[in-house]
Amino acid sequence: MKLGTLALVGVVAAFAISGAAARTNTTLTVYAAASLTDAFPKIAPGAKFSFAGSNALATQIRKGAPADVFASANMTLPKGLNKDGFCSKPVVFTRNTLVVIVPKSNPANIRNVYDLRKPGVKIVIAASGVPVGTYTLQVLKNMNLTAPVLANVVSKETDVREVLAKIALGEGDAGFVYSTDAKTVPGKVKTIKIPAWAQPKVQYGICTVTASTNKAAAAAFIKKVLSKKGQKIMRSYGFLPRVKPKPKKR
Amino acid sequence: MQRRRLRGGLLGVLFFGACAVAFAFLALPVIAIFTQVAPGRLVRLLGNPIVTDALVVSFKTTLAAQVLILVFGTPAAYLIASRRFPGRTVLVTLVELPLVLPPAVAGLGLLVTFGRFGLLGSTLEALGLSVSFTQTAVVLAIAFVASPLYIRTAIAAFQAVDPDLVAASRTLGAGSTRTFFRVVLPLALNGLAAGEALALARSLGEFGATIMFAGSLQGITQTLPLAIYQAFAINFDVALAMGALLVAISAVLLFSLRLILSWQPSRRTSPSLFAPLR
Repeated sequence: MKLGTLALVGVVAAFAISGAAARTNTTLTVYAAASLTDAFPKIAPGAKFSFAGSNALATQIRKGAPADVFASANMTLPKGLNKDGFCSKPVVFTRNTLVVIVPKSNPANIRNVYDLRKPGVKIVIAASGVPVGTYTLQVLKNMNLTAPVLANVVSKETDVREVLAKIALGEGDAGFVYSTDAKTVPGKVKTIKIPAWAQPKVQYGICTVTASTNKAAAAAFIKKVLSKKGQKIMRSYGFLPRVKPKPKKR
Repeated sequence: MQRRRLRGGLLGVLFFGACAVAFAFLALPVIAIFTQVAPGRLVRLLGNPIVTDALVVSFKTTLAAQVLILVFGTPAAYLIASRRFPGRTVLVTLVELPLVLPPAVAGLGLLVTFGRFGLLGSTLEALGLSVSFTQTAVVLAIAFVASPLYIRTAIAAFQAVDPDLVAASRTLGAGSTRTFFRVVLPLALNGLAAGEALALARSLGEFGATIMFAGSLQGITQTLPLAIYQAFAINFDVALAMGALLVAISAVLLFSLRLILSWQPSRRTSPSLFAPLR
């Protein structure tokens, strides 16, 4: 196709001008869930990171994005990529819990999760399909709050940090985020616990992207995340150990 | 002959090569949107409630924003075009600024102005008017980013009106209001329409400021571009269908803009003997 050839010429010219002609990709590129924004750079300070909603990242990887590692806030997305040949078999590398956050001033006077049913409360959640959005729906279902809370939802965001920002700014009255996200803006939001029995199973999965040209570095990064040191860093940000500790007593 | 030498020479090859690359580069991504999904399926995907809801939201908010832009933008443009006053250049710069600002900055600005704890937001909140997460927020975001396009073009249109015609109207006894509506406005109408068409196209495409300031909720604040962004990660084909829809709408808008610009109304407002010769 002649038009295609011409566009290729333009692309090559653009590469030449930007000085990035060959993809000599020596730095590791990690596509990671937005909730890992603070923890991951501490584990591998030299790597390049792209943080966003895991589902957006998965779509980008399917469309050929130059990722070496994919770290998702659920297991469903990396398992799906693995099934279609886009990444290696994922392993669980951390776990998390959900909380409700309200602005420091708590304008809607939310004391517990059931207060979210009050008419007029402005609730911000993540879109379904975004891992935290799916988990939020599970919590609501577990607590039998689906209909009244969804009726109060004013915005569905594309990743967890956007939910956090809308509440930290005080625009929304309450939002569902991971407990680790709430810890990143301590002076701006108050946290309301979700009971353990209503918590969904939040497992984070990590895998090497099949198209990666940097597989050794990718494997080394995953090893680092799973190492004692890596896990310690994760815990310092409030993430849970990758395997749930077995209860001591029967 | 100059032209023959150019065509024959190396320079000519480079010239046409550069042109071809430019056209291909601009056209290909637009064409590609239509090649990914079969046309029949593309049309069927448009029936998805995500698409229809987004279309309704986009239509409503864009329309409301255009009313604001025309009602407030036209007098503002006329003032700038017709008067010389201190600070005029600063004012023009301020009016044009949203045009070049990154939409993310526009979103931030709107949040700290109309947001709940913003400059005006806290007062509005006290009056029981809450802007964030409502369709009003979408309208404000659109009007903020799109109105400079209209105002800019409108200023140029008003400035192009022959001052002799205005003077003639005034000496013949028409007041300034009558002169504006009977002389200035009809003469500037072409330019105003062109500006409005540009603003309309920009309105339909608004994304950054809206998602930051108004949030995104299907059927309430989720416009077509926001729906595309969300569908991108969930249902790529639906995103493509909405993309195709926006390409079609924008193409029609631009095409009508061409028609407006090529259609020149009569320069004469009345068959007066005293109309200045052109």
